[in-house]
Amino acid sequence: MAVMRDMIPPFELFQPAGVDDAVRLMREHGDKGWVLAGGLDTFDWFKDRIKRPEAVIDLGGVDELKGIAVGDDGELEIGAMTSLTEVAENGDVRSGYPLLAEAAGLVATPQIRNQGTLGGNIIQDTRCWYYRSGWPCYRAGGNICYAATPRSMNREHCIVGASRCVAVNPSDTAPALIALDAEMVVASTGGERTYPAEDFFIGPDIDIERMTVLEPGDLLTRIRLPAPWSGARWYFEKIRDRKAWDFSLVSVASMVNVEGGVIRDARIVVNGIAPYPVRATAAERAATGQAPSDETGQAAGEIAVRGARALRHNDYKIALTRNLVKRAIRDAA
Amino acid sequence: MEFLRRALNPWGQDVPIGVSWDLIWAAVIIGAVFVVGHALMVPKKVGTGEIDPDEARGLPEKLQRHTVGARGFHWSMSAAMFVLLITAFFPVVGIQFPWVTIHWIAGVLLILTVLYHIYHVFAKQDFWAMWIGRRDIEEGKQGLKAALGRPGAKRPRAAKYPVDQKMFHHAATIVTIGAVVTGVLMMFRIDNFLLPQNMYLFSDSVWGWIYVIHGVCGIGLIFLVIAHVYFAIRPEKRWMTWSMINGWIDRDRYLENHDPERWVVGERGAVGELEGSGGGGGGTGQPALSDKA
Amino acid sequence: MAENVIGTDISPPDLRAKITGQARYAEDFHAEGMVFAKLLLSPMPHARVLGVDASAALAMEGVLGILRADELPVQAEGTREGALTDEPKYEGEPILAVAAVDETTAAAAVEAIRVDLEPLPFVLDPLDSLREGGPDAQLGGNMAGRGELTSLKWPASVFEEAGADRLPMGEAPVEWAIGDIDAGFAEANVVVEETIVHQSVTHHPMEPRSCMAYWQNGKLFLHGSTQSTERTRGNVARMAGVEPDDVVFIGEYCGGGFGSKISGSPIMAVPAVLSRKIGRPVMLRITRYEENYIGRARAGFQGWAKLGFRADGRMTALDLYLVQDSGPYGASDFFTAGTVATASYQPENMRFRGVAILTNTPPRSAQRAPGGAQIVAMLEPLVDKAARELDIDRLEIRKINAPDSDDGWLGAQQGRFTSAYVREALDLGGELFGWEEKKQLSGQRNGTKVTGVGIGLSPFTAGSTGRDGLLVIRPDGKLYVHQGIGNLGTHSIADTARPAADVLDLSWDQVVIVWGDTSKHLPYSTVQAGSQTTHAHTRANHAAATAMVVLLQELAARELGGSPSSYRVADGRVFRAGNRAAGMSFGEAARVAMELGGKFSGGEYPEDLHDATKAAVAGLAGEGLIAAARDNYERAGSVYTWVATFAQVELDVETGEVEIIDLASATDCGTVMHPRSLAGQTNGGVFQGIGMAKGQRWVFDPKWGIPFTKRFYTARPPGMLDVPPRPRFAAVDKADPYTPVGAKGIGEPPVGAGEAAYVCAVADAMGGLCLCRTPLTADMILAELEGRPRPYGLLDTHV
Repeated sequence: MAVMRDMIPPFELFQPAGVDDAVRLMREHGDKGWVLAGGLDTFDWFKDRIKRPEAVIDLGGVDELKGIAVGDDGELEIGAMTSLTEVAENGDVRSGYPLLAEAAGLVATPQIRNQGTLGGNIIQDTRCWYYRSGWPCYRAGGNICYAATPRSMNREHCIVGASRCVAVNPSDTAPALIALDAEMVVASTGGERTYPAEDFFIGPDIDIERMTVLEPGDLLTRIRLPAPWSGARWYFEKIRDRKAWDFSLVSVASMVNVEGGVIRDARIVVNGIAPYPVRATAAERAATGQAPSDETGQAAGEIAVRGARALRHNDYKIALTRNLVKRAIRDAA
Repeated sequence: MEFLRRALNPWGQDVPIGVSWDLIWAAVIIGAVFVVGHALMVPKKVGTGEIDPDEARGLPEKLQRHTVGARGFHWSMSAAMFVLLITAFFPVVGIQFPWVTIHWIAGVLLILTVLYHIYHVFAKQDFWAMWIGRRDIEEGKQGLKAALGRPGAKRPRAAKYPVDQKMFHHAATIVTIGAVVTGVLMMFRIDNFLLPQNMYLFSDSVWGWIYVIHGVCGIGLIFLVIAHVYFAIRPEKRWMTWSMINGWIDRDRYLENHDPERWVVGERGAVGELEGSGGGGGGTGQPALSDKA
Repeated sequence: MAENVIGTDISPPDLRAKITGQARYAEDFHAEGMVFAKLLLSPMPHARVLGVDASAALAMEGVLGILRADELPVQAEGTREGALTDEPKYEGEPILAVAAVDETTAAAAVEAIRVDLEPLPFVLDPLDSLREGGPDAQLGGNMAGRGELTSLKWPASVFEEAGADRLPMGEAPVEWAIGDIDAGFAEANVVVEETIVHQSVTHHPMEPRSCMAYWQNGKLFLHGSTQSTERTRGNVARMAGVEPDDVVFIGEYCGGGFGSKISGSPIMAVPAVLSRKIGRPVMLRITRYEENYIGRARAGFQGWAKLGFRADGRMTALDLYLVQDSGPYGASDFFTAGTVATASYQPENMRFRGVAILTNTPPRSAQRAPGGAQIVAMLEPLVDKAARELDIDRLEIRKINAPDSDDGWLGAQQGRFTSAYVREALDLGGELFGWEEKKQLSGQRNGTKVTGVGIGLSPFTAGSTGRDGLLVIRPDGKLYVHQGIGNLGTHSIADTARPAADVLDLSWDQVVIVWGDTSKHLPYSTVQAGSQTTHAHTRANHAAATAMVVLLQELAARELGGSPSSYRVADGRVFRAGNRAAGMSFGEAARVAMELGGKFSGGEYPEDLHDATKAAVAGLAGEGLIAAARDNYERAGSVYTWVATFAQVELDVETGEVEIIDLASATDCGTVMHPRSLAGQTNGGVFQGIGMAKGQRWVFDPKWGIPFTKRFYTARPPGMLDVPPRPRFAAVDKADPYTPVGAKGIGEPPVGAGEAAYVCAVADAMGGLCLCRTPLTADMILAELEGRPRPYGLLDTHV
C-alpha cells in the first residue's frame, strides 16, 4: 500500500464542554480516540497519516482547563489548556515563577505559543525524525531503533537514559516545572491523581511507547506550583539551531537558593539529553554547601555528565550539558 | 486475532515485526483449558498399589532419581525461565518496569544453565535416557488408555523418565533453543557489553522473523510452564516433584511406577541411577551404571 | 517634465494585492467541474516499478482516473527528467497521479494502490559512487556528459592517498587552466590548502509548485507558479505535447522561486495531461512535503582548494578541485563556481578541476547564485587565513586582488567585464560597517562571548542581452508595458518598465503593466534567471520606448506637419520643440494610430522580433499606437555584480552559539533602479546565504537513502530573529556603460556575500580557525572549541 503524507484523513470530532465529558469520551473511544489540545503535535501526526484515530476529542471548549489562579497558600494552579503565551505573559507567573515564564516564552514562535498549550507542551511526543517519519521503530511498536546505528543521523538524540530507544523529550516547560517542583493533576474516570513533575515522565526502559505516566483515558488537567521560592536564583537556557521555531538541542532549568554566599538548595534539570527531563541530582548535591563559583559550576557540570554516552553525532551534548549546568550554578552568584 | 504484527518498513515494504501479543492470551487460555480438561477427565490415582515383594528385595528405601547437579540445573533453569517470562510478558500486559536488562541477563544465565546441562548430559548422564523409543511409544499408548479409563487398560511402568516427561522435555528443548538462538541474535539490537550493537545485521524481514520466532517460543513456553506446573502439583505426581527437590524417591514409588528392567538400580543398595531404555534399537541395549552417586 | 522614475522608490502595482491577500496564486484558481490530483511518491531512493495495481483505487467512489509515466509526452530517460517515472531515482520522486473529486478521496485512492517495486542500488555521497565497485545513481552510470550517461570510477589508490582528511582527487572530466599553476605556487610566499564541504540545500519557496489545468476547444489553460511567463508557455506546450499557440499560461504572482521555477516545473505536465485524459479541470496542490522532493535543490560540493599569495597580498595561484553532488539528473553549478572564483581574485595562475556525480537525492537546479554562493563561502575564509599569515588587512587583500573595469577578466576564456567597481564597493561597505574600528574588536572576549568580524565578497553574473520589448499607447493616453517576463516575487516586473516611462518622459502613474497571462499578448523575453532581468529587460523596454518615441514623432509630423525630429515627447504628449501646444496627447496619438494602422498600430513590425512577439503584436494590432523592438544594444563583456558584506558576530564559547551583531553590505550593481527594492533584494540574499552558513540542513539516513529535512522545521532555513533587525546597505551607483539604463542585476550575488561574511566572522572569532564546512552549526563549533571528537568526518555530506 502506498504511503501518503500531508493530508489529514477524516475523523469524528467531539467537542466536550467539561472535563467529565472529555474523560468519558476518552474512555469510550480508548485507543481509537485522540485528545486534541493546541494541535501543534497532533496535526503533524495527522497530516502524515501516521496516527489515525477514529475519534478526536477537542479540549478547546473545556473552559475549566484554562486559566491561571493563585490558591490560598500562595500556590499557583495553571489549567492544562492555558496557552503558552498566557503562561509566558501572566503577571503571577512572571513575578512568582519567572523560570516558567521564560521557558514558555522560548517555545517555538509567537503563533505557536498562542495556539499551543502548557499541557500540550508538557506531554508532547518526541521529535525523533525516524519516529516522526512513520518508521516502525520501537516507539512505534516495532523492533528497532533506527537512530542508534553507527551511521544514523542522531545529532539531536540522547546521551543518557537510553533503553533501546534514543529519542529525547522536546519540552521546554517540562524541565522548568520539575525545577519548580510542580505537581501534575491527572483526571480519569477513576478520579483524580497527582504526580510530582519529576515522576510524571517515564523512560523507554519502562514504556517505550509513552513519554509520560498518562495512559489512555488519563487527562492532564492542571499544573500546580508550590508557593514561590523566596530569593532563589533561576536560570533557563535553551540552545537551539535557530532563534525561533526550534526545539532545544539541550536546555537547562534551575532554581538555586544562595544564602550567605553559599548554595543552600538547588534543583537543576536538563532536557534534550534523555527520553525524559533529567534532574541533575548528583550535581545539585555537589554544589550544595559551596559558593556559586566557576569552580563549583565546573565540578557540578562534570558530575552531571558522568556516565553520559554519546552516539555517533551527539558527543557535543556532553560538553554542552556540562557547560550549561556550570552556568546554572556560576550565574547564581 | 492476527498471528503476526506487521509494519511498513522505511521503503514501504510490508515486513513482519513480531508475533501478535494476542497469542499470549491464547496460550494462557489453551493452558487453562488443558489443565481444567485434564483435571476433569483424568482421575487422581495415587499409585497402583501393586508392588512385587520380589522386586523390592535388596533395594534400599530411598533411590536417587536426580543428582545434585541435575537438580541444580533444573531449578536454576526454571528460575531463569520464570524471570524471562515475567520480564517478557508482564510489561506487555500492562505491568511495567525496566525489564530489558533483567531479561537479557536472565537469558544469558539460561544459556549458561543449558550449556551446563548439555555438558552434564554428555559427561555425567546417559544421553539416551531422554530418547523416545518404541517401548516409550507403547508405554504412551497404554498410559493414555489407562488414563482415559479404558477397561482392562493398566498404566505401564516406565523407564527412568516416563514418556510424557520425555515429550515435555523435548518440547521445552525445541522452544528454548528457538528462544535462545533468536534471543542471542536480538542482543545485537540492544545495548549490552557482550555483543556489539548492529541493527542491520540482517534484512528487516529476516529480523522480523527472528522476533516472530522468539515470540512464538516465548508464548509456547507459557503453555509448557502452565502444563509443567500443573503436573508437578497433581497429587499422583507429587513424589516426582519432591524428587526434584530432595533428589530421591522411595522404593515403593520406584517399583510402582518404574520398570526395574528399564531403570536398573544398582545392587550395592546405594541410590543409583541405571538407565537402559533406549527401547528398541536406539539405545545401547545394555544397562549401564552411569551414576557414581 | 515628468520626474525621472529611475532611482526613486515606488509601490509596485502588485504590492497591495500581495499584502492584502487578494493576489491569486495558482492554487487559488477554480474552474467549473474541477477535480483534484494527488501524487504517489517513490518510497525508495532508486527502484524499478514492476507493476501497479490500481484496481482498488479506481473502484473507489469519486476516483476519476490515474496517470502513469508512459502517458506523458515527455518521458524520463537518462538525465532527462519526467514528471512521473517508472524508475524513480530519489525517494519522493512521483510515480503516478490519481484524480478524484476531492483531495481526501484522491489521498485515500493513492493509499489503495499497490506498487510492486524492485529496489535498485542507490548512492547519496558522490565519493561512494566514485569508488571502484561503488553504486551508480542511474543504471547507465554516475555521470551526465553531453546527454549521455557514463560511469566514472577512481582507483582505490586515489582514496588511499587522500586518507580521511583530504579530498580524493582522481581523474577530473572537467579541467582548465590559466598560466602555470606550479610556477604560481613557486612564486608564492604563503600557501593555504583545505578540504571543504558545502551542503546541498532545498529551495523552499513559500509557494509550492501547485498548478491547475483545463482544456477548452483544444487549447490548454494552465495556472502555475513560475519565474518567467512567456518562456514557461513553450515549456508547458512541450510537456503537454501541443504547440505553444495552443497554450495559455497564467501566473501573475509567484511565491518565490530562487531558481527552482525558471520556466515552470516538470510537474506541470501532470494536471495538463491528466485533465485532457479525464476531461475535467485538474488541480494539483503540491504540499510542503512534496515540494521538498520535487522543488529542486542547490548542488553540494566536496572540494579542495590551494591558494598561493605573494608577500604583497596578490594571489599568484588558485588550484581548485570540486566534486559536485548533481542529484539524479545533473547540475552545472561547478562550472560556474570555477568561473566565479576568478571574478573576485583574478589569480595570476589557476587550475580548475571538477567532477559532477549523480546521486539518488532530489533533483538540483539553479539556486540563487548556483555555484557562486558555494565557492565564495568556501574560498573567502581561506583568503582570510592567508591574510593573517601575510599580516595584511582582510579588506585590503580583497582590494588587492579585485578586478576593475579596465583590465578585469573572467573565467577560463579571460573575457572582459562590462564594468567592475569592486574596490569602490569594498570601500563603501567598509565605511558603512566601520571596518577600521570593528576589526579592532576581533577576538575580544566579553564573558563567554568572543567577537569576530568577517567580509564576504561575492561576484555573480548579473545580466545578458534582453529580447523583445512591447509597448502600447491606448486611447486612454496610458502606456501599456507588455511584460513577457515573470513576476518572480521581486519588483522587477515593475522596475524593468521604468526605463520606458523615462524615455517617454511619462509620469509613473500613466504606466500600466500588463503581465502574467500569455493570452494578454506578451512579447518574447529572456528567462528570469541569472539575475539578468533588471539588466536585460530594461534594455528591451528601453529599445521599445525609443522605437515608440520615433513612432510618436513620425505620427505627429505626419498629422501636424514638420519633420519628425522637430518633435519632442514628454508628459504624455508629443509636441513641437519649444511649443507644447503644437502637438497631441498620447490618447490622440493612439486614436490616430488606430486609424492609420500599418506600422503605427501593429500592422508592421521589425523583422528581428521573435515569432512569439510578432504574434503578440499581431494580436494587439489596431488597439493603439504600438511599438515593439528587440534589444540590439551592444554588450561588450560579461555583466557582473559584486556584493561585499561585512558581519560582526559574537560566539559563545560555552555553547557554540553565534549571534550576528551587525551586518552591512555594499554593492556594485550599476545604476540603482529602485533603492528600497534593491536593499530588500540585497539583504534578502544576504540572509539566505547566512541561512546556508548557519544552519540550513540537508540530512539523509545513509542506510535507507531517505531525507529528514523535509519541512521548514527540520530543514531550518533562517528566521527573522537569526539576523540583526537593521542590516545596513549602500550601493556604488555607477552606471554600467554597456546598457542604456546602466543597471545590473542584484538577485544572486548577495547570497555568497552573506554566507561568506558569516563563515569568515565565525572563523575570526575562533582565532582564524576555518572549520571548512557549512552549515556551521553550534555542535561543530563547540566540539572544536572543547577539543572533542568532530561530529562528522571531514568529507561527510548530507549530515
